[in-house]
Amino acid sequence: MKNYYSYSTKILLGIMLGGFFVTTTFAYTPLSTPTGYVTDLAEMISPDEQQLLEAKLVEVEKTTSNEIAVVTIPSLQGDTIEYVAQKIFEDWKIGKAKQDNGVLLLIARDDKKLRIEVGYGLEGALPDATAHAIIQNDITPLFKQGRYSEGISIGVSKIIEATKGEYVASPESNNISNPLTGITGNGLIIIFVIVSIFQWLAAILARSKEWWLGGILGAIVGIGIWKYFLFTLFSGSLIFLILTLIGLTFDYIVSAGYERSAASGGNPPWWTGGNSFGGGSGGFGGFGGGSSGGGGSSGSW
Amino acid sequence: MDTQTKKSHILWVIIGILVLFGIWCASFYNKLVTMNEGVDSQWAQVETQYQRRLDLIPNLVESVKGVMKQEGEIFGKIADARTHYANATSVDEKAKAAGEIETSLSRLLVIMENYPALKSADNVNTLMAQLEGTENRVSTERGRFNDTVQKYNVQIKQFPGSIIAPLFGFHERTYFDAVEGAQVAPAVKF
Repeated sequence: MKNYYSYSTKILLGIMLGGFFVTTTFAYTPLSTPTGYVTDLAEMISPDEQQLLEAKLVEVEKTTSNEIAVVTIPSLQGDTIEYVAQKIFEDWKIGKAKQDNGVLLLIARDDKKLRIEVGYGLEGALPDATAHAIIQNDITPLFKQGRYSEGISIGVSKIIEATKGEYVASPESNNISNPLTGITGNGLIIIFVIVSIFQWLAAILARSKEWWLGGILGAIVGIGIWKYFLFTLFSGSLIFLILTLIGLTFDYIVSAGYERSAASGGNPPWWTGGNSFGGGSGGFGGFGGGSSGGGGSSGSW
Repeated sequence: MDTQTKKSHILWVIIGILVLFGIWCASFYNKLVTMNEGVDSQWAQVETQYQRRLDLIPNLVESVKGVMKQEGEIFGKIADARTHYANATSVDEKAKAAGEIETSLSRLLVIMENYPALKSADNVNTLMAQLEGTENRVSTERGRFNDTVQKYNVQIKQFPGSIIAPLFGFHERTYFDAVEGAQVAPAVKF
């Protein structure tokens, strides 16, 4: 354990820095807005590995809402890695706003230093000693051999493993109904399906100038319900009539809406169909506003 | 238009200006209150980290005491510093006691380097990783404390504030300075 000496030095440095904070100026220049979870400014990660990592971290955010950022920079420019990590964390606000569930793995290539900075919310799941162990046992041995991509990849896997337990989309946020709408997770899916069918129908109906087709569709659905649910003649024909009328009105409205927007040259309103939801496939959507308080661990190789 | 109505016009304008000034004063006052509270809450953050450090120290002492038998003096100093911190009530006292802890802790770390047996002890290493993280947290929160103090001080020292703040009883807040001794932490060979 030859890191023993560097520990006490760092601790002493930390103590001293605390006092000099007011007067010391730092060379840190803010990084530009992040475009993904992986920001490889020092070009230490192979393109393939970078894609894999990015996909992995997108998945992590989706399933646990934890935000794990990986950043490589060429040089610290004289700052301490702790300071730079804290600044990047502050600037990017990694993690969700209320949960502060972000982690930053920062690597400074030329200084041969790295740090895992942990957001307030994950300090329990990823304590300093764990972060230290990940750096010492998993990352730096590979870094010493120049296997950076691998080291980063395994480090990220360990971080994911450690943070998995925390903030797994908690019961409160998952299947309990929204107090305002009373809609559960399943209810949302059903609504989504209905809206999709609605959109799809609208897409077909809107493009035809005539609006009788909607009426016919309504009538068919009406007969279907009548026969399927074995309604009596009276209530069945009532449903049949109502649905026919709704179909007619629906077709009339979407056709008119489509015509109007087509005439004015703009995009048709969303409910006339034809446009997809646009970019809904998911991916990096920016960090969520989390913060850290200097937790985590640093190391060098 | 006779002079009578002219006069009342001027009166209304003056009243209007006074009302606007009052509203502005109120919002300025509120802003200062918010910023002052911000300084207090940031100090609370610093104290949280002090407490964390305080809780770690006994574990560290416990795990090295067996090996460092003849260093009773430093352990005594650490224990004293902890008691001082526990008894401190005001912010100044706490900051002073925290400085005392830092000084004695630094000394302990230096002395520990004379004991190679400690370097291979897993529990000592874990504690050192935790202590390192805590020191970094302390310096982070202190840095933020100084940032919030700076913003507040600028606000009450700059022109409108420099006149209004004293009227409402707002005073300059002091920055956190490392206590003497902590600044001249002994150099460590590595």
